[in-house]
Amino acid sequence: MSTSTLPMTDPTAAEVAPRPLLGSVLALVGSELRLVLREPLVLAFVFAFPIVTVLVIAGSFSSDDDGFGGVDPSHWYVASYLAVVVAAIGLVMVPVHLAAYRERGVLRRFAAAGFPRWSFLLAQLAVGLVLTLVASAVLLAVAAPVYGLPAVHDPVRVAAALLLGALAFTTIGLLIGSLVPNARAAQGLGLLAFFPSFLLGGGGPPPAVMSDGMRRVSDLLPLTHVTDAIREPWLGTASGLGHLLVVAVLLGVALLVCARSVRL
Amino acid sequence: MIGTPLVRVRGLTKTYGDRVAVDALDLDVRAGEIVGLLGANGAGKTTTVECILGLRRPDSGSVDVLGLDPAVDGDRVRRLVGSQQQESALPDRMRVGEAIALFRGPRAATVDGLLEAFGLADQRRTPFSALSGGQRQRLFLVLAVLNRPRMVVLDELTQGLDPAARRDVWDAIMVLRDAGTTVLLVTHYMDEAEALCDRVVVMRDGRVVDTGTPEQLVLRHAGWATVRFGTPVHESGAAGPHVDRLRRLPGVRSVVDLDGTVEVRGDRGSVAYVCADLVHGTVPHDLTVVMPDLEAAVLALLTSKTPPQRPAPVLITNGALR
Repeated sequence: MSTSTLPMTDPTAAEVAPRPLLGSVLALVGSELRLVLREPLVLAFVFAFPIVTVLVIAGSFSSDDDGFGGVDPSHWYVASYLAVVVAAIGLVMVPVHLAAYRERGVLRRFAAAGFPRWSFLLAQLAVGLVLTLVASAVLLAVAAPVYGLPAVHDPVRVAAALLLGALAFTTIGLLIGSLVPNARAAQGLGLLAFFPSFLLGGGGPPPAVMSDGMRRVSDLLPLTHVTDAIREPWLGTASGLGHLLVVAVLLGVALLVCARSVRL
Repeated sequence: MIGTPLVRVRGLTKTYGDRVAVDALDLDVRAGEIVGLLGANGAGKTTTVECILGLRRPDSGSVDVLGLDPAVDGDRVRRLVGSQQQESALPDRMRVGEAIALFRGPRAATVDGLLEAFGLADQRRTPFSALSGGQRQRLFLVLAVLNRPRMVVLDELTQGLDPAARRDVWDAIMVLRDAGTTVLLVTHYMDEAEALCDRVVVMRDGRVVDTGTPEQLVLRHAGWATVRFGTPVHESGAAGPHVDRLRRLPGVRSVVDLDGTVEVRGDRGSVAYVCADLVHGTVPHDLTVVMPDLEAAVLALLTSKTPPQRPAPVLITNGALR
């Protein structure tokens, strides 16, 4: 075996060169994406759940329903449901995944193998972003022949909102997954955060039919801002700039808290 | 080959809240040796290993791994020291070949040779969850030595394995030993330490209570060998002289005849003399020999009311303890 040929002198520079951060992140992203494709339950929740629910709810209102500010309800929901993908990944998939890895000692193995400290978290951010884009594309591809796709008025702002929203919610997911004791707790907490966000933050009834109390709660939910930041510039109902700023601040705060308090 | 210190730990102390996990611990691991770190659960073995790997920061004391301080240069230390961590795993759906591709660095050894040496050549496409316990541990060994480290740390490598799987893993560690790899082996299986280790370090309450070769620890702490047999009925009248003769044999400490059952206690060498003596008379059919082993030695070290100080080396002359 090759270990027998090693010199027992001071270590060489090549031996002690730390694992490069970018190479480590890319290797982990490739590995994690491959593993996600083998997780049917994760794929079902991230890909199938938003598709099934948008197909149901977008067809539940007549096209002249006045609860959507003059917009076709099906278009209103198609533009809203990218945020549901963001929430499914950030609030459920990521925290459960990270907590399970920590609970089972997978993260210890990465650390002991010399992977740089932040490489796994950076890789998860990248994986969250890639999955958001792919799941969003699949959602639109399925919704298009059924309801048609509304024209995108401001594609740059829509893309920015989707990007920042995905990063913000993936970071929140990493924070939850790193702080809870185990995967089961992560799942419980994640679902507890997901369903109210889903129902009141864009995936459920429109704000016009909510009670005042429900609307106030909805306004406070981070996912509402992601939904509005995507939908308003998409449908041209508003600029969505204020919501985009809120999402950007949310991302900054989540990154800061994650960097300071995350334990791997 | 054995000599150059790879790891030098001096006065290592680590506490968790009010609990002292490691208490002023000194430890050396020299190139080419397999050192066993033994002790009960909670003795501080894993914490010690984690400090050596730079996964925990000591409260005080110094740790030197090939001239590097793991608390400062943890990433570099972990490039030099391969490890298998207690209670660590791989993702269930990750295949053996994918794990190796993910963990291999630019200095990696030839993968085919490693998989062949550790009996995993046919498992490249097998997911981690489908591997047996022994195969998983052998995969961890492959990953530990994959990047040609100077030393490997194996923490409870065979915990929870059935006897056959444990033997498989032992064989794999012997492959490492034959290659001259330095190994720090954390275990609480005494037969494992006895079979594999050149030197063992026994920890109790975060401190080293003794260190030496397994044989040295047995001699110091395991008590006496015991030979027990029944005296044939027709010799019962001659029990007195028989006992006297046994007492005079080299290494024998005591001989007791209890209602026809003779119990001879002495050092390991005395067993041969007692058995040779028996061959000259009527060979008993109920002969029992209990040899002192490492388990007895470590048990004595771990259960004594006051942790013993390290004794002076024991010399063996002509089969007898001096």
